[in-house]
Amino acid sequence: MLSRARILGLIAILLLLAWWRLPSTQDELRRSRLVMGTVVEIVASGDATQGLDVAVSAAFDEMERVERLLSRYIADSELSRLSQQAGPFTLSDEAAAVIALGLDVAKRSDGAFDLTLGRLNDLWAIDSASPKLPTPAQLAEAMRGIGPEALLLNGQTLKKRSAALELDLGGIAKGYAVDRAIAVLKQHGVASAAVNAGGDMYLLGELHGRSWRIGIQHPRQTNASLETVQVSNRAVVTSGDYERFFEQEGQRYHHLFDPKSGLPARGCRSVTVIADSVALADALATAVFVLGPRAGAELLHNYPDAEGLIVAADGTLSSSAGWVNYQAAP
Amino acid sequence: MKKLWRDMSRGDCSVILVLFLIALIGLFWQANAPTGARLIVGDGDQVSFTAELHQEQTVDLEGPLGVTRLNISDGAARILASPCPRKICISMGSVQRSGELLACVPNRILVRIEGVAEEGVDYDLLSR
Repeated sequence: MLSRARILGLIAILLLLAWWRLPSTQDELRRSRLVMGTVVEIVASGDATQGLDVAVSAAFDEMERVERLLSRYIADSELSRLSQQAGPFTLSDEAAAVIALGLDVAKRSDGAFDLTLGRLNDLWAIDSASPKLPTPAQLAEAMRGIGPEALLLNGQTLKKRSAALELDLGGIAKGYAVDRAIAVLKQHGVASAAVNAGGDMYLLGELHGRSWRIGIQHPRQTNASLETVQVSNRAVVTSGDYERFFEQEGQRYHHLFDPKSGLPARGCRSVTVIADSVALADALATAVFVLGPRAGAELLHNYPDAEGLIVAADGTLSSSAGWVNYQAAP
Repeated sequence: MKKLWRDMSRGDCSVILVLFLIALIGLFWQANAPTGARLIVGDGDQVSFTAELHQEQTVDLEGPLGVTRLNISDGAARILASPCPRKICISMGSVQRSGELLACVPNRILVRIEGVAEEGVDYDLLSR
C-alpha cells in the first residue's frame, strides 16, 4: 500500500525530472557575421538579463571598425592612406600599437613575419579567380625594399624607406580585431565567450563551468582534428597551408610566403599557437610557419607565455615544452 | 488506500495537484524539445532563410554577386553553384553537424547548422 509520504515522494521525483528539463536561466547566444573577409563567430553565455544580444552586436561592430581602420582593401582606411603616403605618416594610437607589435615579431623572427608584403600578395593573387605563379623577375620587383628595416616607427610616426612599399597587416589585424571584440564583450559584463575569426580565436572565461575545449584541425584530413586543448582566457590561432591555396602541376601554392624567397614557405603544414592575445598568436603562428619546425620552435622558446604545436611538412608533430599543460585528456 | 485519501486534507490535495501539474508540464516540454538540426542562412543579424535539414530542397539565395544555389538532401547542406570567382564555397562540400558553417564571402552568404551537437565530437570549437 502507498503511504502518503510515498505518494508525495513520487510526485517530488517527477517534479525534479521536470525541473531538470526546464530551460536554464543561463543563456547562450551564437551568432556569425562576415567581417574582414572571413566568417566571424561569437558564442557568448551568461544570465539572460545581461543583454548578450547587445554585447555581441557591439563586439561585431567593433571588429568592423577595426576592419575600416586596418584593411588594405578599403580605399580610405588608415592603412591604405599610409601605403599611398611617401613621407612620414602620423598613425592613430591603435594602428601604431598594432604595427609596433608586428615589427617586434618581425625583428625577433629575423624577418619571417613581415608587414610589408602588400605587393607580393597582390602579385600572387591567391584569393582571386586567377591566382598565378609569378616569374623570378616579378618576384624580385615585388620584394624590393621589404623587411623589418623598411619601416621606421618612432612613437606614432611611421616612415617607409621606399614610397612604393605597401603594408599588409593580414597576419595580425584579424587577431587584433578579435582582441578588441573580447574587450567590448568584457565591457558589457560578459564573462564567458568565444570569438572565432576564421581560426583566430579567443576563449574568455569558461563554458558551463569548465575550460573551453578547442579541436586543432588536421592539416590533411578535412573532417578530423589532431588533438584537443583546454583553454581559458587565452588566444588560439592556427596557420596552415590548407585554407587558401591553388594547385598547379601537382604543386600546392598557399598564402604564407617566405619573405626571403617570395615563395610559399615549405617547412610546415600547420602551426597552432596559444598566447595571451590573438594579435600576438596570429603573428607568431605565421612567423613559426615560415621559419619551419626547428627555427620556429626556437622563436617560440623566446616567448615564455606562448606555446605552440607544429606539424612539419612531412607530417611530424612537435610542440613547445608547455603545450602539454593545455592538452585535453584523450 | 481509501483511508489514506480520507486522511488527506483539502490543502494536501491542492499541493499534490499543483505538484502533479508542474511535473506534467515539465514532461510535456521534454517530449516536445527540439531534437533535429536545422539550417539558417543569413549575414550577421539578418536571417534570410531557414529550413529543417531533413526537408530535401534546392533554394536560390540572392547575394550582391548574384544567385548562390543551396541544396539540402540526405540531412546535409551543400552549395551547388555560386557566382563568386574561386568557388571555395562549393569546394567546402557538405555540412550537417551542429555549429558547422558554409560561407561564400564574396557573395555574402552564410549558412549555419544549428541543433543537437554531434556525438563523438569532443571539442566546442575547431581552430583551423
